[in-house]
Amino acid sequence: MFHQSPLKSLTLAAVIVALALYATLGGYFPRDIVVEIALLAILALSLDFVAGYGGMVSLCHGAIYGVSAYAFAGMTAVAGYDAATATLAALAIAAAFGLFVGAVTANISGIFFIMATLAFGQMAYVVVFEWRALGGDDGLSGIERYDLSTLGIDLNDSLQFALFCLVVLVAVYGVAALVLRGTFGRTLTGIRFNEDRMRALGLSAWSHKALAFAFSSLLAGVAGILAAQHTLFVSPELLVWTVSGEVLIVVILGGLGTLVGPIVGAALLVLLKHEVGAYTNHWHLIIGLFLIAAVMAGGRGVYGQLEHYLLQKAERRANA
Amino acid sequence: MVASIDFWLTQFLNGLQLSMLLFLLSVGLTIIFGLMHFVNLAHGALYMVGAYAGVTAAASLGSFWLALAIAPIAVMAVGMFLYATVIRHMRRSGPMNQVLVTLGLIFVIVDLVRIIWGDIALGMEQPAILSGPVELLGVVYPAYRLFVIGVGAAVMLALSLVLSRTQIGAMVRAGVENDAMAACMGINVERLFFAVFCVGCALAGLGGAIAAPVFSATPSMATDILIPTLIVVVIGGLGSLRGAIAGSLIVGFIQTFGAVVLPGFASVLIYVLLAGVLIAKPSGLLPARG
Repeated sequence: MFHQSPLKSLTLAAVIVALALYATLGGYFPRDIVVEIALLAILALSLDFVAGYGGMVSLCHGAIYGVSAYAFAGMTAVAGYDAATATLAALAIAAAFGLFVGAVTANISGIFFIMATLAFGQMAYVVVFEWRALGGDDGLSGIERYDLSTLGIDLNDSLQFALFCLVVLVAVYGVAALVLRGTFGRTLTGIRFNEDRMRALGLSAWSHKALAFAFSSLLAGVAGILAAQHTLFVSPELLVWTVSGEVLIVVILGGLGTLVGPIVGAALLVLLKHEVGAYTNHWHLIIGLFLIAAVMAGGRGVYGQLEHYLLQKAERRANA
Repeated sequence: MVASIDFWLTQFLNGLQLSMLLFLLSVGLTIIFGLMHFVNLAHGALYMVGAYAGVTAAASLGSFWLALAIAPIAVMAVGMFLYATVIRHMRRSGPMNQVLVTLGLIFVIVDLVRIIWGDIALGMEQPAILSGPVELLGVVYPAYRLFVIGVGAAVMLALSLVLSRTQIGAMVRAGVENDAMAACMGINVERLFFAVFCVGCALAGLGGAIAAPVFSATPSMATDILIPTLIVVVIGGLGSLRGAIAGSLIVGFIQTFGAVVLPGFASVLIYVLLAGVLIAKPSGLLPARG
């Protein structure tokens, strides 16, 4: 059951403040890293919503992210719509794709679910790869960032864009937390714990799972729109299944089913990638060993382990 | 798309060759899946190691045939090491954790291969006796590719005989059907799994070594082959030899003919098939459990 504990609020605040400071005090490169962390964090958070609370381990969140980025890019750069329409359309397309995948796969479980989502993700990848009007395998450029000059904000400034992404991350976290605290989120968690019992209570597990997948895709779509505006370029690489794999790794490293853990995981993975990448181009070796160690140590992830440790300590104190 | 019979026969042989490579990989994976419910994504990485081991053995010993014998053994040794260090401890911990740990193993193995052999594609000489083209039913076709088909067919036949006619085969089938009951009947399922795992690794290594002269050994082999292999396993049905045979042929032929008839969308066809099978018949076309 989701509970916005003081530890969660504290961790979220600490990570966001640290990233904001890093972006403010650092130059162009640190700001780029902060944007990368924020995007990955939103995407990982959306995956944690379905995987951690709904028990649906998806391997197509990279594809949903890419579909949304492409929808935004195609609407603005190719079809010439304004940014607001394109944003709504991209979110709607991401949610519709998610609803479709969720509705079709919600009754499949375990490894079969993972494979089915992989199949749909790869279908989207191949379609985008072959779609000449969207640039095919060359990708698509000519994307512009939001024009927020009426608010006195210039998103073409690297610092302001980095801070904007952090604000969006906090907003997405807030929305996800609200949904998880509400009836829908509690029902979803209930289905994850005991699907048969929820069904016996007269609830449709299928429709809740499908809707949860659609909502998660909507959140992933937010990350996709920002990703298109970050690099001002989209390519089919966004949709490859290894992106989905990386997002899953972030969720696991941070802590599955904690909502705040994926943000910690995203920060860790991106920083590790850049720090290790500065010395060697074999950073996957380090990530791989890290991942194996994290899962074999109990699979709670960094934040999950911290929470577990503090809970145990509190319990011992209560018993003493 | 009107082409001669020769053209289609060549495509047929190409499809058969791809199917046989897929079979060598998927059969090990499917039995490991079926017997122990273990999801080993690192199977594709073992195939890559087999290719590199084959390339190195062929270059240092100067013999293709020795390389073909050494590569499976080397890969089996790698597999045993993985089993002892990681896989044995992950046996009981759910599909998601297994997916993640073996995904981590892919990262580690691919980077180790890149450190040892570098990023450049390494070629492997075909043996002189198989390097020329041969004429088959009026079609000129590379002899080596026929050899690949032959090896796959031989392994297929040998495995079917072992699984259906020997006591070991009966024990494996019993383990797939109901491992708890098999253990009650006095079968050491854990040791059986280890043996099957070793054979699966050796076949992946063999697949890599015979693929090396055709495709060259590259670090991207590990992930490129993984998805088609998983699709074969899921389409065919976990733990089923007949399923692996049928799945390999289906995927191999759809990929080959799809690339000719519907260029660009061949891979979509495969995923549509996968999604269709998962939705209509989640246990696969030819499941091992009746």
